[in-house]
Amino acid sequence: MPIQHIKVLRNGTDEEELKVVETTGLPTWDADTKFTVVGRPQSRLEGLEKVTGRARYSYDVRLSGQLYAAVLRSPYPHARIRHIDTTKAEQLPGVHAILSSANAPDDITWYEEKSKLFDKTLRFIGDEVAAVAAESEEFAQDALRLIEVAYEPLPFVIEVEAALQPDAPRVHDKGNRVDEPTIYERGNAAAGLREADVVIEQTYTTQTAVHNSLEPHGCTAFWEGDQLTLWESTQGIFETREQVAEKLGLPEHHVRVVKEHMGGGFGSKQVPWKQTVIAALLSKQSGHPVQLMLDREAENLAAGNRNATVQRVRLGAKRDGTLTAILADIQVVVGAYMVGGEASEVNGMYERLYRCPNVRTEQIGVYINAGPCVAFRAPGHVEAAFALEAAMDELARALQLDPLTLRNRNYSEIDQKKEKPLSMPNALQVCYERATAAFGWQTYQRPAPTGPKRRGIGIAAHEWGGSGQPPAYAWIKLNGDGTVDVVTGTQDIGTGARTGLAQVAAEVLGLPIEQISVHLGDTAKGPYSPTSAGSSTQASVGPAVFAAAVEAKRQLLEVAAKLLEEEPERLEIRDGVVMVEGEPENKLTVAEVTGRLAPHMIIGQGARGPNAKDKTIRTFGAQCVEVEVDVETGEITVLRVVAAHDCGRIINPTMVDSQVFGGITQGVGFALTEERIVDEKRGLVLNANLEEYKIPTVADIPQMTNVPVNLPDLAANPTGVKGIGEPPLVPTAPAIANAVFDAIGVRLRHAPLSRRQLLAALATQAESIDKSAPPHTQEGQS
Amino acid sequence: MRPFDYVRTTTLDETCQLLGQDGDSSVRALAGGTDLLTLMKKEISVPTQLIDLKRLPDLPSGITSTAQGMTIGTLTTMTEIETNVQLQEKYPLLAEAAAVAATPQLRNMATIGGNLLQRPRCWYYRNQLVNCWLKGGDECQAQDGENQLHALFGGGPCYAVHPSDLAPALLALEATVQLRGPGGERMVPLAEFYALPEEKRRQETQLEKDELLLNIHLPGLPAGTRSTYLKAMDRKVWAFALVGVAAIVRLEEQKIVDARLVLSGVAPIPWRVTAAEQALVGATANEATFAEIAEFALADAQSLSHNAYKITLAKSLVRRALTMLTDEG
Repeated sequence: MPIQHIKVLRNGTDEEELKVVETTGLPTWDADTKFTVVGRPQSRLEGLEKVTGRARYSYDVRLSGQLYAAVLRSPYPHARIRHIDTTKAEQLPGVHAILSSANAPDDITWYEEKSKLFDKTLRFIGDEVAAVAAESEEFAQDALRLIEVAYEPLPFVIEVEAALQPDAPRVHDKGNRVDEPTIYERGNAAAGLREADVVIEQTYTTQTAVHNSLEPHGCTAFWEGDQLTLWESTQGIFETREQVAEKLGLPEHHVRVVKEHMGGGFGSKQVPWKQTVIAALLSKQSGHPVQLMLDREAENLAAGNRNATVQRVRLGAKRDGTLTAILADIQVVVGAYMVGGEASEVNGMYERLYRCPNVRTEQIGVYINAGPCVAFRAPGHVEAAFALEAAMDELARALQLDPLTLRNRNYSEIDQKKEKPLSMPNALQVCYERATAAFGWQTYQRPAPTGPKRRGIGIAAHEWGGSGQPPAYAWIKLNGDGTVDVVTGTQDIGTGARTGLAQVAAEVLGLPIEQISVHLGDTAKGPYSPTSAGSSTQASVGPAVFAAAVEAKRQLLEVAAKLLEEEPERLEIRDGVVMVEGEPENKLTVAEVTGRLAPHMIIGQGARGPNAKDKTIRTFGAQCVEVEVDVETGEITVLRVVAAHDCGRIINPTMVDSQVFGGITQGVGFALTEERIVDEKRGLVLNANLEEYKIPTVADIPQMTNVPVNLPDLAANPTGVKGIGEPPLVPTAPAIANAVFDAIGVRLRHAPLSRRQLLAALATQAESIDKSAPPHTQEGQS
Repeated sequence: MRPFDYVRTTTLDETCQLLGQDGDSSVRALAGGTDLLTLMKKEISVPTQLIDLKRLPDLPSGITSTAQGMTIGTLTTMTEIETNVQLQEKYPLLAEAAAVAATPQLRNMATIGGNLLQRPRCWYYRNQLVNCWLKGGDECQAQDGENQLHALFGGGPCYAVHPSDLAPALLALEATVQLRGPGGERMVPLAEFYALPEEKRRQETQLEKDELLLNIHLPGLPAGTRSTYLKAMDRKVWAFALVGVAAIVRLEEQKIVDARLVLSGVAPIPWRVTAAEQALVGATANEATFAEIAEFALADAQSLSHNAYKITLAKSLVRRALTMLTDEG
């Protein structure tokens, strides 16, 4: 492969890389490129399978002799198992295998080695105590009831402030602080505050939110000889393979992980959880395939959540709005354990989003006796945006500036942390312009109040990664009939990865998309691709498919050139036909070329190259929201959201819309209704279900508009694509909170903005609200 | 869920006999199952036998007009109540209450009998790890716990709220329930049928173990009577009421001559505010009156640590309902 070589950096400067795939020889899709497939709406290739119910999810796996597993979970927020007896359960007909701390391997650890697979110390309600594999789910449940456990309840702590007290019950022996605080400072933040004409100082809190993917976590495990296959609901088939192999002491080629279709993960399936290895061990013990799917309660208790935060924010600004200081003291409530995967960097957005010479952040993780957190769609950023973007709104009000004006006044064109240029320094500017123009921000006329109902508007911005990165690999196989198999070891977590990757291959090869099949989701059948996290699949794997297709095309044209007695450089493929430049009669279809070659085959291999080193690649976005608030009943209705998000080149506008609409939907839930409720006295999770954990319904969703921002970023990769999966959720909640303030003059600083909070705030601020007129005039919006 | 036997019976007598055959609630009647099955999955109810009422030919279903009012058979689905044209005309609040309850799928399955007999949604009661007072335990954990969804009236020892949207509407309509036991039938006004749980009867109704609910009888309403059911939820649909209000008003020349107000989501049973009703009668229909009445209706409310917002909410809904019902004459 002439376009790739491997180099070893012995003294890497930025981050050390032992293997770098250079792809400098590749063409790029620059601004002048004409497209036929890319950039056009394309319905999902797997859509028919899904709507007809044929698409196979983890739960749909049915193997001969399959058993069903159930897990006994801790009924205490903190306890020690004194004694466990599974004798009666073992005797139940239909039960094939039982695992607990009494018989499970003692050397398998979890959660940064803070817990064994079955630990005798339980640190949250839902922690695994034992597991049973039986001939039906009902048998397994019956068996769980027969397991006798003597628990010694231990003191526990749920509330973050209580957890930080010196005499608090200890979640772990070393205490409740995850680590030393992470401190970042540039300039002199204290001096920056002193320079300020106006200082905003407020504390904001965000709740524990649960992913509640439609498809719960779980897998089916089956051993055939030494070979373990896992049909796992995961965002990372290779990550799962590596971890399971390591935990079980297996060579990686003896573990195969399969994920065909997925009902969402949102970060919670970035890492394998205990149940994956439990299923594998139960299968080994019983000699049968074992399926272990979590139910909705377990999904809410023990499969991850978005960490709650407490954020004390201080902003200082000059009278004209120029920021002089940004300070944030952040507590991140991680639950009982650290899980791994993407970190929740709440501090990051404070450090990057606005131009400011003096910034100080301090972030600390706090353990409590509740289910562990894990990455959740834009981890850290959703939490940070709720606080920072509200604080910016408060600052704008204090300065009597339009919130948009304040943001523009503090626009950053560089990466202030690394002192490097941004690859697309005007991207956020474009987002502001397009979102506000489509929304009508500048010209908004507040409707006269109708009865108790008040309208208001709000804006919020964000930044995020999403550049994608190496490594990722793909193969392109040209079949004898001119059709194409794209093979890669990525997974489609529900975003439509198959379709986006097929569009890239079809574009490069000049073929209609019907001639492309994408095969993914199987570690045994495709080359390595990274975990689908960080909004990176299309931006990481797409370029590998691009490189493979370029290579396949090169080989194809070499063959075609011989057949046509032409130079390869003069050939082009359009709509499945190889043509000679300027000679319309001299042509062959791709199928004719591959047919002549068959059964010999053209195989293109591609790899994801490195990102540009001299620039920082980020994504940006802005959303404008209009709400209506009923000041008598505390009902908040989100009327419309207009979003503009930079995601580099848009491969498929329909799928980008889907991500934006899905993100806004989750944002509405985060803003208004979603919250894990825990009784602090008893440690009980009270709403581990979809009845009282309220995700938005269709009726809660506003009119949503996604304004396309198509800014190819060639610093990221030759296709110019960046991620869009996570960002659309980030600005929604603060934009809603800001709009609520705009409507009624009441600032709600605690997510979610429940009726309880709003009505309480209205009651205390009743005097300051003139119910007959809007709380402030149109001038503020100029 | 624990294993159970599924049983079909052919007569009401046989059914009542079976239901009463022992004292430990091991036999339960199954209609739509939308509440019972959730209780069984959480092992809050652990019957060994389920009698399928939907196969019982003598158990009434459907809506029929009577000389003065209407009769609703116990197996009538919520969807039927929501969409029945005669009922919509005569008792709009009842159709409105059905329309905002649960989800379309649940309304297709759930029966009115089951709806009236459903158990509270209290998240302590529904939690398997908690033995709350209502389940036979010693204390109500909500009293000093997460009680944002809990009672303002009639609380203690249990602070759960009654979850039905139909019950407050029916109470406002002064409905009577027709019950059938082994000894025959009895008619009980809904106002008596619902009773605050007490030490020896830890449930929300006077229904005996061996009794079946057969019919709901609705008396007629004088011409010109207007009614509505308003419901505040955490989200737009598919949630139980934070607070609801069933209101019935009849006006004569801007004077209120009849009024009924029942609150939901505020007490262990649907909560009629009789004193506020009486204060309305004879009053002039205007905002000042309604504000006073709203204050009056909630005067005895006792908030817990997290549910004071419900008082504001209930007052707003009462004012709003009365305003709506007296608008444009």
